[in-house]
Amino acid sequence: MDYLTQSFNTALSLIISLDSEVVSTVWTSLSVSLLAIIVAAVIGVPIGLLVALRNFYGKRLVLTLLNTLMALPTVVVGLVVYGLLSRQGPFGNMGLLFTPAAMMIGQTVLATPIVANYTLGAVTAADSRILPTILTLGASPLQGLLQLLLEIRFGIVAAIAAGFGRIVAEVGVAMMLGGNIRGYTRTMTTSIALETSKGEFAFALALGIILMSVALLVNLFLNSLQQR
Amino acid sequence: MTPIYSLRNIEKNYGKKTALKIKRIDLLPGRIYSLTGANGAGKSTLLQLLALLDRPNAGEIRFDGDVVGWRWRDLRRSRRKVTLVHQSPYLFDTTVYQNLILGLRLRERVMKNGRQRALNALETVGLNGFEERRARELSGGEMQRVALARALSLDPRVLLLDEPTANIDHASSEYFEKLIIELQQQGMTIILSSHDSDQSRRLGSEILNLSEGRLLNDAKPNDTCKKFKPVEGSLCLSPLKMQEV
Repeated sequence: MDYLTQSFNTALSLIISLDSEVVSTVWTSLSVSLLAIIVAAVIGVPIGLLVALRNFYGKRLVLTLLNTLMALPTVVVGLVVYGLLSRQGPFGNMGLLFTPAAMMIGQTVLATPIVANYTLGAVTAADSRILPTILTLGASPLQGLLQLLLEIRFGIVAAIAAGFGRIVAEVGVAMMLGGNIRGYTRTMTTSIALETSKGEFAFALALGIILMSVALLVNLFLNSLQQR
Repeated sequence: MTPIYSLRNIEKNYGKKTALKIKRIDLLPGRIYSLTGANGAGKSTLLQLLALLDRPNAGEIRFDGDVVGWRWRDLRRSRRKVTLVHQSPYLFDTTVYQNLILGLRLRERVMKNGRQRALNALETVGLNGFEERRARELSGGEMQRVALARALSLDPRVLLLDEPTANIDHASSEYFEKLIIELQQQGMTIILSSHDSDQSRRLGSEILNLSEGRLLNDAKPNDTCKKFKPVEGSLCLSPLKMQEV
């Protein structure tokens, strides 16, 4: 018990003193995941809107595919993107493997189906009269979509928050595509795995506390949106 | 007089189901038309087409003399002359005034007198002083009137109303009918769907009776049609129109 208490106290002091290694790891984690979620939102929100609003041949298949992709194992995404970015892969000459960019690509692949699915859900759950009303008021198709997005903005923010929650806490993609390079591609999750195996429990615990706080904040945010 | 709408050989299908099949209709400007018929007769589908919100699978729609093109850049000008008020209108969760100004903003008509136009429209529907009220906190009749004011603030040439009095009380319904007649007297073309044949009579409207997506020949507003033997599927509206047929 002493060990746990002592580790916890050390972890807290690492956080409070803004230990440079802790700060660097948190910064890498958050910056990669934030960039990935922005790209995922730019791709996923229009996909969600399109699938929700359009009737097309094979829609059911697309819905099934989106649902399946939501549960995609992170190591599978890591494996596929690794294949694409490795030296022998089609994009090997870009030299992206084991860089923050590679992690960002992998996390974008992970988050896009989540954002698309949540957006789809938000559009489907929205009042069906919204879009016809906007169009009868004289909106162009683009104005109509923007106004619809404005009406379901809480659902869209929830979609983005859910996607962010998933990628900031994932370990497979970050480990396989980033390579866990200290001060460069080391994220909170990969660092926790490494430091624990090295016996640096207090350091891992400090990162765990921060990761939990991020997850808690995202969930609190989601809950507050659901109550609106 | 040039018809405001001319529909020729219109067909609208949803999957394999034919929702509307009309050979010919000419609707003249400045009149009131009532679309009657049972549920599923095609009234709402026809209103959607007349609002230029949906395109037919076959046939041609002429609006204000021009054939309607369905690309947005062609459609833009025509669609801004028409407004459709739905049976249960959707009001945005904001003030009445913001609901009114939204349409003006979407039609890029926020001018110096934008506020005045919105207030005038509210006055027309008898809701002076309602501009700062929350739209969602109004009664059903008041909401319907706000939706009408929102449509009127856009100054449309054609006002389309989908069952405008279906969900409101008798007093509001009477008010609505009076207002529709006043708008028609000001030169607006009004096309409404209704289950209430007495209402069509009270409004002095010309009746388009639909059944299973087709216009019925007995949808005659007067007996003159008998003399002219309208083509099957065509509309008999008035002696003037029959001569044109």
